[in-house]
Amino acid sequence: QKKKENLLAEKVEQLMEWSSRRSIFRMNGDKFRKFVKAPPRNYSMIVMFTALQPQRQCSVCRQANEEYQILANSWRYSSAFCNKLFFGMVDYDEGTDVFQQLNMNSAPTFMHFPSKGRPKRADTFDLQRIGFAAEQLAKWIADRTDVHIRVFRPPNYSGTIALALLVSLVGGLLYLRRNNLEFIYNKTGWAMVSLCIVFAMTSGQMWNHIRGPPYAHKNPHNGQVSYIHGSSQAQFVAESHIILVLNAAITMGMVLLNEAATSKGDVGKRRIICLVGLGLVVFFFSFLLSIFRSKYHGYPYSFLIK
Amino acid sequence: AEPSAPESKHKSSLNSSPWSGLMALGNSRHGHHGPGTQSASSAAAPKPGPPAGLSGGLSQPAGWQSLLSFTILFLAWLAGFSSRLFAVIRFESIIHEFDPWFNYRSTHHLASHGFYEFLNWFDERAWYPLGRIVGGTVYPGLMITAGLIHWILNTLNITVHIRDVCVFLAPTFSGLTSISTFLLTRELWNQGAGLLAACFIAIVPGYISRSVAGSFDNEGIAIFALQFTYYLWVKSVKTGSVFWTMCCCLSYFYMVSAWGGYVFIINLIPLHVFVLLLMQRYSKRVYIAYSTFYIVGLILSMQIPFVGFQPIRTSEHMAAAGVFALLQAYAFLQYLRDRLTKQEFQTLFFLGVSLAAGAVFLSVIYLTYTGYIAPWSGRFYSLWDTGYAKIHIPIIASVSEHQPTTWVSFFFDLHILVCTFPAGLWFCIKNINDERVFVALYAISAVYFAGVMVRLMLTLTPVVCMLSAIAFSNVFEHYLGDDMKRENPPVEDSSDEDDKRNPGNLYDKAGKVRKHVTEQEKPEEGLGPNIKSIVTMLMLMLLMMFAVHCTWVTSNAYSSPSVVLASYNHDGTRNILDDFREAYFWLRQNTDEHARVMSWWDYGYQIAGMANRTTLVDNNTWNNSHIALVGKAMSSNETAAYKIMRSLDVDYVLVIFGGVIGYSGDDINKFLWMVRIAEGEHPKDIREGDYFTQQGEFRVDKAGSPTLLNCLMYKMSYYRFGEMQLDFRTPPGFDRTRNAEIGNKDIKFKHLEEAFTSEHWLVRIYKVKAPDNRETLGHKPRVTNIVPKQKYLSKKTTKRKRGYVKNKLVFKKGKKTSKKTV
Repeated sequence: QKKKENLLAEKVEQLMEWSSRRSIFRMNGDKFRKFVKAPPRNYSMIVMFTALQPQRQCSVCRQANEEYQILANSWRYSSAFCNKLFFGMVDYDEGTDVFQQLNMNSAPTFMHFPSKGRPKRADTFDLQRIGFAAEQLAKWIADRTDVHIRVFRPPNYSGTIALALLVSLVGGLLYLRRNNLEFIYNKTGWAMVSLCIVFAMTSGQMWNHIRGPPYAHKNPHNGQVSYIHGSSQAQFVAESHIILVLNAAITMGMVLLNEAATSKGDVGKRRIICLVGLGLVVFFFSFLLSIFRSKYHGYPYSFLIK
Repeated sequence: AEPSAPESKHKSSLNSSPWSGLMALGNSRHGHHGPGTQSASSAAAPKPGPPAGLSGGLSQPAGWQSLLSFTILFLAWLAGFSSRLFAVIRFESIIHEFDPWFNYRSTHHLASHGFYEFLNWFDERAWYPLGRIVGGTVYPGLMITAGLIHWILNTLNITVHIRDVCVFLAPTFSGLTSISTFLLTRELWNQGAGLLAACFIAIVPGYISRSVAGSFDNEGIAIFALQFTYYLWVKSVKTGSVFWTMCCCLSYFYMVSAWGGYVFIINLIPLHVFVLLLMQRYSKRVYIAYSTFYIVGLILSMQIPFVGFQPIRTSEHMAAAGVFALLQAYAFLQYLRDRLTKQEFQTLFFLGVSLAAGAVFLSVIYLTYTGYIAPWSGRFYSLWDTGYAKIHIPIIASVSEHQPTTWVSFFFDLHILVCTFPAGLWFCIKNINDERVFVALYAISAVYFAGVMVRLMLTLTPVVCMLSAIAFSNVFEHYLGDDMKRENPPVEDSSDEDDKRNPGNLYDKAGKVRKHVTEQEKPEEGLGPNIKSIVTMLMLMLLMMFAVHCTWVTSNAYSSPSVVLASYNHDGTRNILDDFREAYFWLRQNTDEHARVMSWWDYGYQIAGMANRTTLVDNNTWNNSHIALVGKAMSSNETAAYKIMRSLDVDYVLVIFGGVIGYSGDDINKFLWMVRIAEGEHPKDIREGDYFTQQGEFRVDKAGSPTLLNCLMYKMSYYRFGEMQLDFRTPPGFDRTRNAEIGNKDIKFKHLEEAFTSEHWLVRIYKVKAPDNRETLGHKPRVTNIVPKQKYLSKKTTKRKRGYVKNKLVFKKGKKTSKKTV
């Protein structure tokens, strides 16, 4: 009994020492068996099984690792830090035997090894469904161990810096050209900017931003790439770009029609502008309509193009 | 910057083509006269030559113009009204969907009990046991409008049922919307564009989707109020008259009373003023208009009980206050300018403006921090931070209207308008003036909001109609008018002579002479009649396709009442599925008047409206924890659910089940949201992961997770469904909605019993049993004194008593002998 306590104290001490240096310890097979599997334990252990070696080409692992780092750091530097919970990781290339022992054939996997008893089904984090955001991991840990971790993300300064850079750039430009501020009064520039916003919105870029669809879909069987999503409920990024171009072309056609009628100049040239404008409007609109038709099943109308 | 309405050919309007007349409208006007005043003024002008009377009025261009605009607006109203009637003609005059049922119920209350009774109405039939103060938690504009119309009609002895008023209110208001759109577009561009815009908005699906007959909802009247407020605002900025601003405030007041979307107005108008300041377009007109609007509008908006002190206490309204302060500072500095030298003024100006802006900004932050101003509410916040709702507020994210918009829905709702309205925006910005700044801001902000939320397509639609009308009207003006003009030279001459004979009318003459010069130049460099007619033809074809599209969309997508469903057989005959009303009527007839019905919140308003029974939760999702409790009851097992239901005094439980007819909007498909919302409040008891299979799938068949197969919702949906064979090709208990054979066919209830199932099993109602008089024990009674069951009898005696048969089979009671089946 005494020996057991000694062993436990020694293990905890060692873990604490390591965690003072790094928030996550890398384990190989031996360490894993000693600290995670061997019985005298009074601490919970969260272990990430992963494959971070570059030759494994696991991009998900790297993202998951970043989130895991954030989580472990928030725990490491939180005021509630104690010796009840530790974070570890096993890389496939360092601890292949562990993977075999646990019958694990996918990485990354997060597992919780409770202080008492064997891990249950719910001790394996459901990565497929919940994703690996640090907040979700923290929720899962709170659920399994009653240790609440407030995830503290190192604030992402890149957005702020980019904004500051942009503002200073614009400000600097204005300052340099302070004697010639005519370009601010350039209506064409402003009109362009507003049309860009309008086109971005009407082609569903906001949907892309929120839902994050793939750029296009490649059929795994015959290698065909489809740019248009088959259903009216969703879209690909490529598709929204196509729509953006079509909308812009139709708008340009309308503007050209107006130009042709109002500008002063050679009549022949104006006739050509007029016909080009008309062609843009009619052709691209019928093209747009046919794309819409292919997506919205049962829509009966088409124009020029089936 | 003068409004650069393209050079006119307005004298052509005597010819018979409506288009030419339409296009020529509004060019002879320089000021702000409506068509009525215009015709009146020209009729009043001295006319020596032409005959007097009506024909004389018609021979004047303005007379034709007003007649044509009236006719076109009337036809637009008629077309808009009739294309919204699909649902009434196909089904019947019935209130649609969910929210309209609540509106109808409260309108009914208003009509039968009077206005004050309505304002003080405490509805004890909703949110049992909490109740709901209806008068203080609704935007009453809709009910009051409908109630007022009903009252007027009945005072005139036209007896109309309040339901019919409610059903036809939105189509009627669509006509008013198109008129106010006409007025607004006329202020922005010209009369021709205005008429086109009115026609567009009368039939555009983006607006019809919320205003078909029977869709008795706030949006139906709010879009009218929105457009009318904007019209009056533009008018007051143009004129700088307090009269128009007061009208604008009144209209704004109506808008506040009608819809929560008034926040859009109270942010857009300050934005307009702010941008005008930035563009150095400040004028006394803007100052008068905005100062009056802000003060009077603020006071009026606070009169609505539901709004109350929000306009001075929430962040949504702070932009308006900030711009108000800024405008005052700006005006003060402008005043100082006259007293100072230029150099002094410049330093003072920049110092003053930046100080004022900084002070306003800091004070808003300070007040928010100290809690005087509420921060942005979740619904508004999710418009900016688009990922916010998904993580933090499942109840907002669960509503399908709050999803972002794909390009398909833009095209579906707006068709050609969505491709052409950027052109209109282009023209507006290229020929900018005060009010076109407004429409540009309106377009950009509305298109952003519509991109974030499908629902806000509604606010985008009017501006799209206006801008596209401007684009189209521009094209028609150039390609229709000129040809006509050259065909009718005599008219020009006569009207010129007319001008010469009217020396008194100098104002008109000056304009006309200038235009006449440009006209004479034009024919030499015209594009030629062929090209012009081709352009016109194709444009008209596009517009025709738009009209056809609108009708098709309205008929197919937006005209289902969703209370009554219809299915079509192979031969085209129609089946009406009236299960909802059947079930609600059953509730109304067969249950106690004060019975409490538990259901998911979607059906709360319908139960209250049609069955007139008490509900626990409804579509006014103000109390998340109450909803989560219902969700928890639905997703726990029967015993745990029974405890919750007892504590909530539930008498009946209602579920929607679509498995028999393949109706996809049923409760099993919504079930994950119930689990999620319940998990948000009770994370210890409900875990979303328990309802998935090991592979993370949501399945109702045998592979589904046991928690799901035994939860209350599953059991209530599939009770006795395992016995039902719908089709010879499928096994019994085959769910048509999810295309799966259900996993738990042997469902038994302990605390519930089936009370009613509608014809197509769409609605199932269960009665919650009262607790037994004496509760049965869960375990076997403990045996205290063990009495041997058989008294000891010696073998000998038994054998002696009865005879003895060798190899006799011995039966043991209660044990089945193992049989081998052959």
